[in-house]
Amino acid sequence: MKKQNIEEIFSSIEHFSSVPPPELWGQIEEKLNQPKKSKKAIIWWTAAACLLAGLMVPTVLHFNSGADINTLNTNSTNTVVLEEKNSGAVKNNSTNKNTGTESNAVQENTNKQIVNSENDKTKNIDKEAIDKKVIDKKVIEVQNTETATATLENSPEKNNTTKVQNTTIISNTATRTAHSETKKATNRAVFLDIKQTETHSPNQAVAVKANTSKKENNFNDVSKQQMTTVEKNNLNQAVAEQNFTSKATDKVATSSKNSISKKEKELLDKAVAENTFKTKKQKSFNASPEKSISGSVVGEKLNAKNNTTFALNNSNSVLKENENQNKQDQKEINPNFNTIALEKSIADNNSVNNNSKNTSKFGDALSKQDSVQLAELQNLEKGIIVAEVTKEEKEKEDKAVPKSEKWDLGVFAGVANSENYKNEKTLGNVNDSKQSNSYGVKTRYKINKKWAVGSGLKFNELGQSIANVAYMSTKSEATFTQSDYLNQSASAVKPHIANNSNYVFLSNNTKNSFKSNNIQTGNVNQSLKYIEMPLEVSYAVLTLNKASVSLNTGGFVGKLVSNNVSLNGTSIGENIDANDFVYGSVLSSTVQYRVYKKTNVFVEPAMNYYVNPLNNQSFNQFQWGLNFGLNVSF
Amino acid sequence: MKDDLEIYIRQCMQNDRAGQLKIYQLFSPVLYGICLKYMKNEDDAKDVFQEAFVIAYQKINQYKFEGSFEGWLKRIFINKLIETLNKKKKESFFLDVFDPDTDYVAEEELEIMPVEQEKLLEYIRDLPDQYRMVFNLYVFEKMKHKEISELLNISEGTSKSNLNRAKRILQKRILSIKNFKIA
Repeated sequence: MKKQNIEEIFSSIEHFSSVPPPELWGQIEEKLNQPKKSKKAIIWWTAAACLLAGLMVPTVLHFNSGADINTLNTNSTNTVVLEEKNSGAVKNNSTNKNTGTESNAVQENTNKQIVNSENDKTKNIDKEAIDKKVIDKKVIEVQNTETATATLENSPEKNNTTKVQNTTIISNTATRTAHSETKKATNRAVFLDIKQTETHSPNQAVAVKANTSKKENNFNDVSKQQMTTVEKNNLNQAVAEQNFTSKATDKVATSSKNSISKKEKELLDKAVAENTFKTKKQKSFNASPEKSISGSVVGEKLNAKNNTTFALNNSNSVLKENENQNKQDQKEINPNFNTIALEKSIADNNSVNNNSKNTSKFGDALSKQDSVQLAELQNLEKGIIVAEVTKEEKEKEDKAVPKSEKWDLGVFAGVANSENYKNEKTLGNVNDSKQSNSYGVKTRYKINKKWAVGSGLKFNELGQSIANVAYMSTKSEATFTQSDYLNQSASAVKPHIANNSNYVFLSNNTKNSFKSNNIQTGNVNQSLKYIEMPLEVSYAVLTLNKASVSLNTGGFVGKLVSNNVSLNGTSIGENIDANDFVYGSVLSSTVQYRVYKKTNVFVEPAMNYYVNPLNNQSFNQFQWGLNFGLNVSF
Repeated sequence: MKDDLEIYIRQCMQNDRAGQLKIYQLFSPVLYGICLKYMKNEDDAKDVFQEAFVIAYQKINQYKFEGSFEGWLKRIFINKLIETLNKKKKESFFLDVFDPDTDYVAEEELEIMPVEQEKLLEYIRDLPDQYRMVFNLYVFEKMKHKEISELLNISEGTSKSNLNRAKRILQKRILSIKNFKIA
């Protein structure tokens, strides 16, 4: 007997096979028939993109115009400045009963107005720029619409079919002018295709529909690259072929209504090969070259040789028109019909589907030299497409994330510190940073190995402290009332930091003008607590076996849950003009280390920017944070 | 045969049901066999078999006609099997820590009598999920411990440990038949 170890014993079933039960194929077939589920990632991306775009605009605007406003606001809106007697240009009549001195409460509303008007100007300039852009955009759109309309002018009104046949018009007598005009029109078509311009008339919609199939969109990318690499001529080809890629086109080519029978096509192709192009139709085409909106490299090549112009019409209008004429007597091959047939054959043969039958037909139809050229071009195109597709697939494979680890959920807590980078002041005192705590939960969805999107909930506190703030307490001064100091006019009296009328805060400039025993100094702490919901995009910059480093950016929306002002540690009320909802942007980096199976610990230094915590006060808007957390992948 | 296979693959790429059926007929016995080796019971094997076949058809465009098509299919199936087993990891038997004692188990040689394939298959299927997975990948797919550890997201030590434990269990089972004796 033979001596064997376990591995050898079991190697006998290495190639073990068993016929599966017959019903399994039916079930597989059923699953194959089910439509594919739409990718969740697309929704995430869209949401993230929208949020980012939404946040970027106000952030940029804020950075551009905010500095001046804030600086002036510090002087104008945060405090009601009590100025020394006779020092102000504007006099106020408010009188202090106790002291008998006149004081001038100057409100710098004028400054504010100046600032506002300046801002208005800036805004107006911005608006003008934007308007200009909008106008430009409109012009382009109008051009596109005109192009599309021009293309479809010849279409029969009732032609509501969704399948569009791309056609080519061949001209033997094309002049240079006509050629260049065709090119122009073609370029417009490029624009039309790339932008996927919305169209209004049913026929335009039909024309555009041909460009919306998934396959075609895939090809668009390839076509675009082709445009850059294969010179001018290929620009036109890319567009033309883009048009031809849609499935609908192929269907139309074979459909009984809109297509010409194969037999006829063959006859017509032969006719084309014999160069029996008539000039009658060409004239009509050349007379309105703007109607053609795309070109073909085939056309270009042939044009160079035979002094002919090929223009691909992006609508079925010409086909329809001529087809109607020819319907009655299809056996008779008239010049118009020849043109249409060639258009169809070129359209079909240029399609990315690379229908071999069509290609061979086309090869027969054209002269040998032309066929060789066409074949070369098609091979070139194939090569580009295959190379691109292979590259993309390889990238996809590389980036794929195991399904079991697509999501992760984590908890975190950390410290945050607000910062006053603009050196803003309140009542003449610099706003100091304030340390606070933050904690929350977050989840992340990995789109691939590099990219992820995340969201969550976070409790965070944004605050600032101001040291040595001079104030007067109306509680301690029995005979003192706030109104004694302030302008009696309602518009001039503005609350200070907090909504507590028992305290009047004084700026550094004015505190010396009062009796020292009336004025006290203290530390003011302002805090705003939020529950925030961030939406972030993460990019893994470094991925090791157990560790990874990623950069995250995004935005957040916060709901104010607590609003407090304290003076020397005693709460004196709420911050005035605090926004209930705040939004901002976040930039962070996550350093993660796998400690056990799918459990990771992470450290996350972050920087938050709050766009609008308070309306009329200077407030620390930047915040540094350092979070520590634990997450689990699943 | 090779040319025919290429035709069927191309048909599958065009979502042609006839081509898909041909591929199914050609490879389903081997692939179903793999599923039976990896999964604990036949129902699970059937489920994975179906899902993996659907995935294979959906991804067939990624096949570049480089290397064996059967190998490509097997890889899809094994990935799917691993994914499914990972989802079922709730089993308490999951020993993930490298145990140095079990690293080097003496390879006892057994004097064997022929054993039915079904019996061997049954022993494998009775193994705990991860042991079974490691054993299958090591013995049948000829993978190295490093590859297994990357695939299953475990350490190399764990992979070795799991393999040795699996072997021990199988050894005991085989010895218990009495057809074998330790040489």
